[in-house]
Amino acid sequence: MAIDTYIMGLFRSEDQAVAAVHDLKNSQWTLHRTHSPIPSRKLSEALDLKTSKVGWYTLCGGIFGFFAGFALAIFTAERWDLIVSGKPIRALVPFVIVGFEFTVLFAIFGNLIGFLTQTRLPRMQNLDHYDERCSGAHFGVLASCASGQQDGLTDLFRKNGGDVRVFDDQTATNER
Amino acid sequence: MNRRFFLKLVGMGSISIAAGCTPDPYNQPRPDKTLYSLVQAPDDMVTGDAAWYASTCRECPAGCGILAKNREGRVIKVEGNPHHPINRGRLCMRGQAALQGEYNPDRIRTPLLKENGHWKPITFTAALSILNDRAGEAAKAGPDRVRMVTEVVGESLLGLFETSLAHWASKGPLVFEPFAYESLKLANQAAFGIEGLPSYRLDEADVLVSLGADFLETWLSPVEYARKFKTMHAISGGRKGRFFHVGPYQSVTAANADLWLSCRPGSEAVLALALTADVLNSERATSLPRVLRDDLKNFVAGLEREKAIEVSGVSANGYERLSQSLLSAEKPLVLGSASIAGPNALQADFAANLLNLALNPELPLIDFERRHRVEVADSRSDLAVFFRTLQQEAVDVLLLNNVNPVYALAGSADIAAALKRETPFTVAFSNFMDETAALADLVIPTAFSLESWDEYGGTSDAVSTLQPAMGRFIGAPHIGDVFMKAALGKTAPENTYKTYLIAGLISRGLVRNESDWLKTLQRGGIFEANARSRPFDPAKFDAAAGRRLLASLSEPAAGLTFLAAPSLRFFDGRGANRPWLCEIPDPLTRVAWQAPVLLHPDTAKTLGLKQGDLVRVSSGSGQLEAPVYVTPGVRPQVAVMALGQGHVEFGRYAAGRGSNPVALFAAEDDGQVGMPRLFAEGVQIAATGRVVKLANTDGDRTQHGRKIAASVAMESLASLKQSKLNGLTMWDFPLTLPLPEGYDPKRDFYKPHDHDGYRWGMVVDLDRCVGCGACAAACYAENNIAVVGGERIVEGREMAWLSVERYVDAVVPEKITFLPLMCQHCDNAPCESVCPVYAPHHNKEGMNNQIYNRCIGTRFCSQNCPYKVRRFNWFAWEWPEPMQLQLNPNVTVRAKGVMEKCSFCVQRIKEAHNWAKNEKRTIRDGEIVPACVQTCPTDALVFGSLMDPDSRVRKMVDDPRAYQIMGYLNTKPGVIYLKKVVQEV
Amino acid sequence: MNELTFDRIDQTVLDTLRPATRRYWIGVAALAFGILIGAACWIYQIFVGIGVGGQNIPVAWGTYLINFVFWVGIAHSGTLISAILHLFRAGWRNPIARAAETMTVFAVCVAGLFPFIHLGRVWMVYYMLPIPTQRTLWPNFTSPLIFDVVAISTYLTVSSLFWYTGMLPDLAIVRDRAVGVRKKIFTWLSLGWTGAHEQWRHYTRIYLFFAALATPLVISVHSVVSWDFALAVVPGWHTTIFAPYFVAGAIHSGLAMVLTLMIPLRKIFKYEAIITLHILESVAKTIIFTGLIVGFAYATEFFIAWYSRNPVEIFVFAWRATGDYAIPFWIMVTCNTIIPLAFFIKKVRTTIAWLFGISIAVNIGMWYERFIIIITSVGRDFLPNTWGLYRPSLVEFGIMLGSFSLFFFLFVLFVKHMPSVSMTEMKETLVEGGDHGH
Repeated sequence: MAIDTYIMGLFRSEDQAVAAVHDLKNSQWTLHRTHSPIPSRKLSEALDLKTSKVGWYTLCGGIFGFFAGFALAIFTAERWDLIVSGKPIRALVPFVIVGFEFTVLFAIFGNLIGFLTQTRLPRMQNLDHYDERCSGAHFGVLASCASGQQDGLTDLFRKNGGDVRVFDDQTATNER
Repeated sequence: MNRRFFLKLVGMGSISIAAGCTPDPYNQPRPDKTLYSLVQAPDDMVTGDAAWYASTCRECPAGCGILAKNREGRVIKVEGNPHHPINRGRLCMRGQAALQGEYNPDRIRTPLLKENGHWKPITFTAALSILNDRAGEAAKAGPDRVRMVTEVVGESLLGLFETSLAHWASKGPLVFEPFAYESLKLANQAAFGIEGLPSYRLDEADVLVSLGADFLETWLSPVEYARKFKTMHAISGGRKGRFFHVGPYQSVTAANADLWLSCRPGSEAVLALALTADVLNSERATSLPRVLRDDLKNFVAGLEREKAIEVSGVSANGYERLSQSLLSAEKPLVLGSASIAGPNALQADFAANLLNLALNPELPLIDFERRHRVEVADSRSDLAVFFRTLQQEAVDVLLLNNVNPVYALAGSADIAAALKRETPFTVAFSNFMDETAALADLVIPTAFSLESWDEYGGTSDAVSTLQPAMGRFIGAPHIGDVFMKAALGKTAPENTYKTYLIAGLISRGLVRNESDWLKTLQRGGIFEANARSRPFDPAKFDAAAGRRLLASLSEPAAGLTFLAAPSLRFFDGRGANRPWLCEIPDPLTRVAWQAPVLLHPDTAKTLGLKQGDLVRVSSGSGQLEAPVYVTPGVRPQVAVMALGQGHVEFGRYAAGRGSNPVALFAAEDDGQVGMPRLFAEGVQIAATGRVVKLANTDGDRTQHGRKIAASVAMESLASLKQSKLNGLTMWDFPLTLPLPEGYDPKRDFYKPHDHDGYRWGMVVDLDRCVGCGACAAACYAENNIAVVGGERIVEGREMAWLSVERYVDAVVPEKITFLPLMCQHCDNAPCESVCPVYAPHHNKEGMNNQIYNRCIGTRFCSQNCPYKVRRFNWFAWEWPEPMQLQLNPNVTVRAKGVMEKCSFCVQRIKEAHNWAKNEKRTIRDGEIVPACVQTCPTDALVFGSLMDPDSRVRKMVDDPRAYQIMGYLNTKPGVIYLKKVVQEV
Repeated sequence: MNELTFDRIDQTVLDTLRPATRRYWIGVAALAFGILIGAACWIYQIFVGIGVGGQNIPVAWGTYLINFVFWVGIAHSGTLISAILHLFRAGWRNPIARAAETMTVFAVCVAGLFPFIHLGRVWMVYYMLPIPTQRTLWPNFTSPLIFDVVAISTYLTVSSLFWYTGMLPDLAIVRDRAVGVRKKIFTWLSLGWTGAHEQWRHYTRIYLFFAALATPLVISVHSVVSWDFALAVVPGWHTTIFAPYFVAGAIHSGLAMVLTLMIPLRKIFKYEAIITLHILESVAKTIIFTGLIVGFAYATEFFIAWYSRNPVEIFVFAWRATGDYAIPFWIMVTCNTIIPLAFFIKKVRTTIAWLFGISIAVNIGMWYERFIIIITSVGRDFLPNTWGLYRPSLVEFGIMLGSFSLFFFLFVLFVKHMPSVSMTEMKETLVEGGDHGH
């Protein structure tokens, strides 16, 4: 059995990367992922990604916060029932503010939890098969092929006008 | 473990605990740091309960009866004795401040002997033997070599002084009182043939005229006369008596007058004579006995009223109104001049007597049987002469009992010189190092009135007892005991002053025996209802004496006249070392701690002076520096300064504050007239270029057309009854009680809330408030309110929970309304909801609680309080030793950084709850009496539950005069005010 | 910006992270000293009592709350710029968003200090938090101050998270260029961001939600701050326009502070190519707008006071304009509404010196606005006998100095050690003119 070799094409322009992605799709090679310095609509269209579901976390957080806010205010007021300024103990009007702020706060928490869980961040070690140029000016397209067929894959990337970086056994030999 | 081991362990444990409890025998535990439980408590002391001792106030000669509240062996509050005929349970601010004499940090602890200019503390025994030897030698040397000057004291003590001095072959003591009413006594002598001070039935008068008499401040017996004044002057049955005040400046008394006639200093006499003339020319005179009428006619012969009006500078219209009121009066009463005699005071007092005679020769409103004790005081000139001749006369020993002539007498430099010299050997019996004591050779502190057995009759019909309300605080003996030991020694009739006192009373037939004495003590004295005095017999009137007296009537002087005003706060200056009296601002200027000189705006303009300018006032006799206070309350060309401050000695609170107006006065005259001349004519006022920040607590004098200290004209009272308000603005917002019935969907967002049994509230009748400020002092005493000092007051950090605000009419500035302002205990209190931690909140009985130890000091409550009656502890305030012993153990002493305010004396409410609970009943109306309500001499404040339909407060709020300050904010205050009724006279 | 390239953006920004000069550290030390002065004053106040300040009865609030509101105001435009303008897809926000957000976070921190400094018993501050105790003592959730606690803490949390999230891709860039210890630190900070499409897919989404939630939050927070006053009965406070009035004021001051910070930053870090004059101009234009709103609010207050025919209200406003604090009042009016009108002139809003000067003026004006609001109303409220004045004490000035030092201290440290311009967003601007896709 052959070990897969990971090869990344590094493109200066978004469009080259997109082209490469298209070519890869109708080739036998497996496209793994793309790295881009900026969020690229074209790329995500090329990869036909669905929009993130992270919003549901946000919503749940918000709903929880809304009730938590009112609950806290009402509970504490009930526990220590002191009349202030002729207001009833359960003075809902002022509690709206607590409710609102908690809604936002917990919505944000949900938002963040959603993000971290969905993207499996934070990840500190072994950013494997990642090229540091991807955070700079390059769009990286990572694909893999059986150990024999590297040339074809590199050609594909070159054809689309990108540099190529071959990862073999996690040791990058960078040929130009 | 087995049983034995366990027992050992327990034993060891308990022993070690016990060991921990025993105080370290080597260093004495400090009483304030250590808690003691009494092994054998005195039978009248229950820890946590107050013991009350009936006694007599000796802060001024009026002699009001007091009840001293003793908690755990120390007096923490004095209140009026309800049985006492003079004050009927009320007290003035000076009486309240008696405690601060007792606990004054500057009180002298041991006798002090002066050795080459330095004070050497000695024991009381040593002091007594020194006194004994010195006086003994003097007595041997010859007659009258031991002389004494004493304050006004009771019969018994005075008798003892005389006996003792006689024992030293010397004549009796001189009685010195700065306010000795010489002019009044001489005038009475001339007119009525009695050299004394009869009391007046103000309460029965329907028209009252004062030629300067400040009977609400210091005059004779202020608490008594304040009560009587309000009896005749408060609104009742749709009418109130009329009160005219004639004088060059507006005292608190004048501020309460329906009409203040501002006249030139010294012209009161002329006015009174002119009025007499009016009376004699009216048909009133027809009823006069012929002889008297002719005599009176002679007095006023050749005196035209126009001339009088012109000389005195009063408004003709004002004079006319006064004259008319007097002529139409049924029971008119005319009072003489102020406690401090201004120019022509003697003539004014005499003219007042003439006027009274002309109005009703039987003088029904003057009670000749009931005399004021202060009449025993010797005339100022006698004292002046005595002190001046001190050099010539061979006096070896001079005894001074609690008098301060060096401060009080004009031209006291030579007196000081006389005291400084080797002989006489001066012994000052004084609790404070005042100006006089400082010059003495030996200072012997004596028992304070609250520590003494004694007797004092403020009026001739009452004997009022003093008993120790606490242990002797510094172990000083009573002056009576001092004399019995030092002077009489073996020959003393009794061995202690107490027994001497009782024996004396028995021999005078005032008490029958020991047990009767005890009853008397409990009651506070012997008060038999004085028999109505016989009508005055006009035949007694001696015209000749009067003529001699009026001969010396002088024209009002040209130029600037400087007058000293008797001070409601400091009396003659003896109050100046009581921090409460310094801290509570002057009722009219609202200035605390400082003694400004009052000038009329015109005068200030011509002199080019502004409020707060520091000026140098100089007369022929001396000069002083004081800040200017500009007010229309004084007449142009008149400068007025309150007496009492400007001490050079007399402790930390008095020394070096303000200035002493006496400095400007000429030395006492030769005693022809026999009265002081406490004024200076033709004074110079020059700016020093410096400016003083006045420590006044008021932001603005006028109400800016707001509904704060509201008043209603007498004639519109009736229409007030009909008018039912129902609007939302400041003026047409209805009275909304802090009860569910005060709820109105039109005005209220939230549903009403109920109260549990009571809804405490207060009704303040502005028509009864005379602005004396006794309530404020009582509040300081009851609630451990901190004294912050003048500098802090300038910063706006005063702590008074209750202050009597003074509002000046924007149009007619001499129209003044006093407004006692404290926490309004609102039902919709704005302060409550803004606090993040519930420190202020509404309790079940409708009060606005402030929880000190919950407060974190955001100060939002104060910001949101429309009345700004909340006070913040900006610093950690201090009670210098032993002031802290006065603190009320039932009230928390507030820490730095917390908010505080009036609590309606919640501690008293709780106490009433306990009583009611023990007796299984509800709290009765009037059972709870907050400190301010308790002491108000005129019953302006009433406290009770608004929920109780039969309570007095509930009934009073139905009065059409009832309103709430800033009620339109819908805070529903629990303090409801009754409008002041102003009448055009 | 067509001469910009991805590399050039990275280069310009990363250059600013080069080791700092001696002069920089001297500046930092100076600021640290300022902080010490403030701290010393505060400690002194804690031991002696609030009385060392100028507050009194009736004016029981002073510079502490003035500065609180001032800093909260500053704190607003940061999130506003990056959130609202993000939603409006205004491209010119991108170069200044990072610095603005940073400003926000630090300003909130500084603002958050002042309520503590203000307290009479700061050692009891935990009473304000809903901590369960056996005495079941709870805070009062009807109190505007508790609204503050909730709102401000929420705002601090959210804006810092927003700020950090926005920084993630840039942190990755720094990580990829850094070596040694900094590499380790930034590896840790960037949470392993690689810009993989999966990450971007969720990132763009949550960033959008962040913006969508932060926007109402910004509005609410300053409304809540305004209710500290509007919910009181005090004349001059008790008015319904306070919320919008305060929000506008906050944005006004915030934008001014952005200019004040950006102009030197741009000069020192040679950001001319990135933070172009055009961007500063856009800010200036917005300042005209907010300035006019604020001016309108001033006018409204006076009109309503007159229209209410309430003597108390009328007096307070008349006194503001003519009384003891007339000078501060007119400083406020001039600096906030009149001077910014100069931006109508193209010459003025395109001259750096003018921009800077006017931004300073607005900052001063906004400080005085808070002074006028907080001091004058209670100084002359319902009962004339209680009226009083207020003057800040030296201690208060010391603490104020400390607060400004603290803010600039943090800001200066940040811009030197973190990417002070969002490289990622700049690159986006290059590609598609500024929005986060989707």
